[in-house]
Amino acid sequence: METQRLRGQSAAAGQDSQGDSQPPSGYWHLTAGRASLLLERRALAVNLLLLALLLAASAAYLMAGSIPVSASELIRALAGDGEVVTAFVIHDLRLPRLAAAWLTGAAFAVAGCLMQTLARNRLATPGIIGIDNGATAFAVASVVGLGVSLAPPAMALTGAATAAAITFGLASGGDTRGYRFIVAGIGIGIGAVFGAITQLLLARVPIDTANAAYPWTVGTLNARSGSAVGVLALGLAVGLPLALALGRSLSLMRFSDAVAAGLGVRLRRRRAQVLVLSVLLTALAVAVAGPVGMVGLIGPEIARSLSSSRGVPLAASALAGALVMVLADLAGRVLLAPIELPVGIVTAIVGGPWLLWILLRPASRRLS
Amino acid sequence: MNARTLPLQRLEAEALRLAHGRTPVIDGLDLALPPGRVTAIVGPNGCGKSTLLAGLARLHAPDGGAVLLDGGDIRKLPARELARRMALLPQEASAPEGLTVRDLIRFGRQPHQGWLSQWSADDQRAVEEALAAAGLQALAERPLEALSGGQRQRAWIAMTIAQQTPLLLLDEPTSALDLGHQLEVFELVRRLAAAGRTLALVLHDLASACRYADHLVAMREGRIMAQGAPAEVVTEALVRELYDVACTLLHDPVTGTPILTDLRRLSPGR
Repeated sequence: METQRLRGQSAAAGQDSQGDSQPPSGYWHLTAGRASLLLERRALAVNLLLLALLLAASAAYLMAGSIPVSASELIRALAGDGEVVTAFVIHDLRLPRLAAAWLTGAAFAVAGCLMQTLARNRLATPGIIGIDNGATAFAVASVVGLGVSLAPPAMALTGAATAAAITFGLASGGDTRGYRFIVAGIGIGIGAVFGAITQLLLARVPIDTANAAYPWTVGTLNARSGSAVGVLALGLAVGLPLALALGRSLSLMRFSDAVAAGLGVRLRRRRAQVLVLSVLLTALAVAVAGPVGMVGLIGPEIARSLSSSRGVPLAASALAGALVMVLADLAGRVLLAPIELPVGIVTAIVGGPWLLWILLRPASRRLS
Repeated sequence: MNARTLPLQRLEAEALRLAHGRTPVIDGLDLALPPGRVTAIVGPNGCGKSTLLAGLARLHAPDGGAVLLDGGDIRKLPARELARRMALLPQEASAPEGLTVRDLIRFGRQPHQGWLSQWSADDQRAVEEALAAAGLQALAERPLEALSGGQRQRAWIAMTIAQQTPLLLLDEPTSALDLGHQLEVFELVRRLAAAGRTLALVLHDLASACRYADHLVAMREGRIMAQGAPAEVVTEALVRELYDVACTLLHDPVTGTPILTDLRRLSPGR
């Protein structure tokens, strides 16, 4: 009698404990001690798929080029032996450029995903703040020798920061709708001014100098600097976890403001964090590759079309952005070889029609 | 429903002043929501009733005065803590596309969750209870887009139910619904009050406010003209004062609630 009652009690108590809860369908429930995590199966599958594609594209990236490298040669070179020439091509030429493609692609795409969620507009990119154009104008000024001594990547970063500062400065002169002014296009004006400055600079210098500055106007991985890549890697190492930590708030920020606020999101603070993070990642990426803003549209769009709408696919955006960047740069290197197409042109050629398709697609599949 | 274990919470406005920009909307308003009851806030368009609800929910920062939750200023509460004590359904609630009813309701658990506590037996129970309370079990896996207006509104209310707050504020929850769907929502509201929740509704329709609310707050131009039990408060004089409409007041032979008939506009120019 007594044991029976005890057993009944423990069964009832067990139902209340965390371990017995069923996760929502489509999720794995991971528990360790008092920690409890939900892992969406679809998100995991999407990320694994994108990672596999990224690795395959990266292998192709390392193998293709003016000096073709076979798969077995590639494996040997990566393991540290093989011919000296092959090892040089892989380790000193292609791997650093591949790393730059991964990092810039991921940074542009995560920044784009953040901005699109913030603006509730799938066509928003950090470029609407004018930082792309700011970076270009400053980098071009550096190349054409406008009496400023910083190297082009540092100047690009300075330009991005300047454009962001002007935009934020003007927006904060308004009232609480500040962030709306920003996403609604103060930046377009700033961007136009910087665009005009770039044109003016290019028009006033000899054609050879203008040519040297040209990569900074379209976006390329050819003109990257090692230190800028290092800074970007650091920025991503900090920024990506921060973005993921904002993920739960971000998924609520897709709802109308009052709903998000009612569910405990501190909107003003979160918006500022998302905006700063997005601008920072873009600025660091622009300092490496110049304005390849289109990746910030294509990457998140691929991620969203593969993912469920239960959350904001930040990790998938990063992977998809890296994939797009690797494929675009690969295409730019091999399609018209020996002429190299800058990656910014390839993404624009692919991204333009893509944008039109998004705009012309039935409205029922839009983000907001 | 877990609501019997919910503590009653007192929500009060004290000399509350709310403004849109420089235009004052509400200037020194005092109000206390009767705990465990349904309060309906009614009044003509632009009388400030939705602004008042936004102020009560801390969506709209006051220019003066305060909103008190159990005696404490709600501005001093952390956002998540407030969201565990008070739920709000705004008028224009929009969700990302592709969410199912269950997905939406799960978002109501966010204030109770964190990065390292993303799912618990409590969450699961709250979601199931919210589905049951709103009568949505059969539709749980349907996308929101595939629901009727009334069903969708019940799904939104279910999200706020899953928040398991003793206080629930609904801004015109029935304004876009036809008669049958309005009844669905009002019956749900009554069930929630019967289970011990305190509700405040902004309503357009005086008749349904009379029928379904325990406490009526009648507003005009940012001030409370009258408040109390609908049967006592609603008079021909009040209707004239609120809407510039003359009417004859009857009492519903079935429910005893006031009915307005023979409505005539008084001063068309105003």
